[in-house]
Amino acid sequence: MKRYLILEDGTVFCGDSVGSTTISTGELVVTNNIGGLEQTITDQTYNDQIIVFVSPLISTIGMNRDDYESIALSCKGVIFNSIPINQMDESNPKSLAHFLKKRRLPGITNVNIQRLAAHVKKHGAMKASIMDADDEHAIDQIRALVIPHDRVKTVSTKQPYPNPNVGFKIAVIDLGLKFSILRQLSIRKCDSIILPYNISAEDILELDPDAVLFTSGPGDPREIPETIATCQQLEGKLPIFGIGLGHLVVALANGAEIEQMSYGHHGSNIPTLEIATENIEFSNHNHNYTVAHTNVAQINFFITYRCVEDNTIEGLRHRSDPTMTVQFQPEAAPGTHDTLYIFDEFIEMINSFKQGNQL
Amino acid sequence: MNKEIVDDKTMKRTLTRITYEIIEKNKGNQNLVLIGIKTRGAYLAKRIKSRLYQLEDIEVPQYDLDVTNFRDDHPEMTNNEQPQFTSEDVNGKNVVLIDDVLYTGRTIRAALDAIMSIGRPSKISLAVLVDRGHRELPIRADYVGKNIPTSHKELIKVSMAEIDDEDKIEIITN
Repeated sequence: MKRYLILEDGTVFCGDSVGSTTISTGELVVTNNIGGLEQTITDQTYNDQIIVFVSPLISTIGMNRDDYESIALSCKGVIFNSIPINQMDESNPKSLAHFLKKRRLPGITNVNIQRLAAHVKKHGAMKASIMDADDEHAIDQIRALVIPHDRVKTVSTKQPYPNPNVGFKIAVIDLGLKFSILRQLSIRKCDSIILPYNISAEDILELDPDAVLFTSGPGDPREIPETIATCQQLEGKLPIFGIGLGHLVVALANGAEIEQMSYGHHGSNIPTLEIATENIEFSNHNHNYTVAHTNVAQINFFITYRCVEDNTIEGLRHRSDPTMTVQFQPEAAPGTHDTLYIFDEFIEMINSFKQGNQL
Repeated sequence: MNKEIVDDKTMKRTLTRITYEIIEKNKGNQNLVLIGIKTRGAYLAKRIKSRLYQLEDIEVPQYDLDVTNFRDDHPEMTNNEQPQFTSEDVNGKNVVLIDDVLYTGRTIRAALDAIMSIGRPSKISLAVLVDRGHRELPIRADYVGKNIPTSHKELIKVSMAEIDDEDKIEIITN
């Protein structure tokens, strides 16, 4: 069955249907992740987005249940260059087609990905729609679509829940949590409790945690002023670690400015420089917004990581409070394990904060 | 028996963290002076200095210090080398003393005497790569890389790429 990917500006790409045959509309993002297909599709940061995989061939071995990053996935569609013929078989319970069908996720394969990726890179991020027919009506529909402004509210947990262990008590503020963050905390024996995005600072302090972690998540951080206010009230009282959207929340809470990138960083081949040691590391990036260079000198932070390619700020650290943030995803799912040590640094930061309190 | 407990990657990480903490606790990095106790402490101080330069674009003064003349455990050893810094270099400054292993605290006591015999800093803090316990003097470190509990019979050996060809920390049991 032929299906069409129709872009906001009228460009049409044709391909074969895989998975569900529903119609869906969302923002287009291009990622170059080769491994970790399951992890990418189930990542809540891709909420309301259509994911384009530029890899020539993907999903040769099918879906692995161990690698899911959330229970309910919330992306709007997947576009492939090509997938193996056995993965198109919906009757095979481990195939990609079966997974997409069960999760009611539409996909298109055999799309001219090089042209699509080049188009997005040239014209910037845009809305797109997966449709059965290519007609005028489709473009009107896309233009009428308003990108939602409550993505974090959609993906954040409604009720707090614990992830018990025996170590430090971490209050994890769920802005679109990836399970790998909890896995990394569990490896370090953290007794975490996962809280909704709009929890107040008093409620967090009432739980008496050892540290607070703001997770990665979808959308624009300016849409969640309640989380920014919470962060402002907690700063200095507890060690704070921000990942992805959490990094932007912490930066906004301290008066930094945020700017939108033209097509963002999506993928695992973006080199970041750790400024202190001049080490180059690779990690999974997934962000459309970045901290602007304009007033970063005035805020009370210093830059710990920056992207080598376009000089964007990828990590910050507070000059006097125990607050550290990274824009990329150190939990590495998908991606290389270069930056897992950042979780160890977080634990060490909690340790030295506690020792400092005792002295 | 030698057992490697810290590899080169972790050692670099630890030094980076100590640098972050030095920035955190010294707002503005004003009047900061790094003094490394010879021999490995001096190399650690050089590395912290280069990290501070990368991060904050500031050239922090860094000196080496030989404490042989001030030791109380080896009075027969002497050293005629002139100290690298004068009283102007440390008077009123915020000195961070850097050493590799903190054990009895006697080396640090000697270093404090050595600095005080030259000048009067406004504050001296201590950064060590390893704190192995068994203090014999009331001394503690402000920045600790790793706390490694040991027994008296064991020995902690810090190797640094500058003189030992590689970065590692070993624990040696006889």
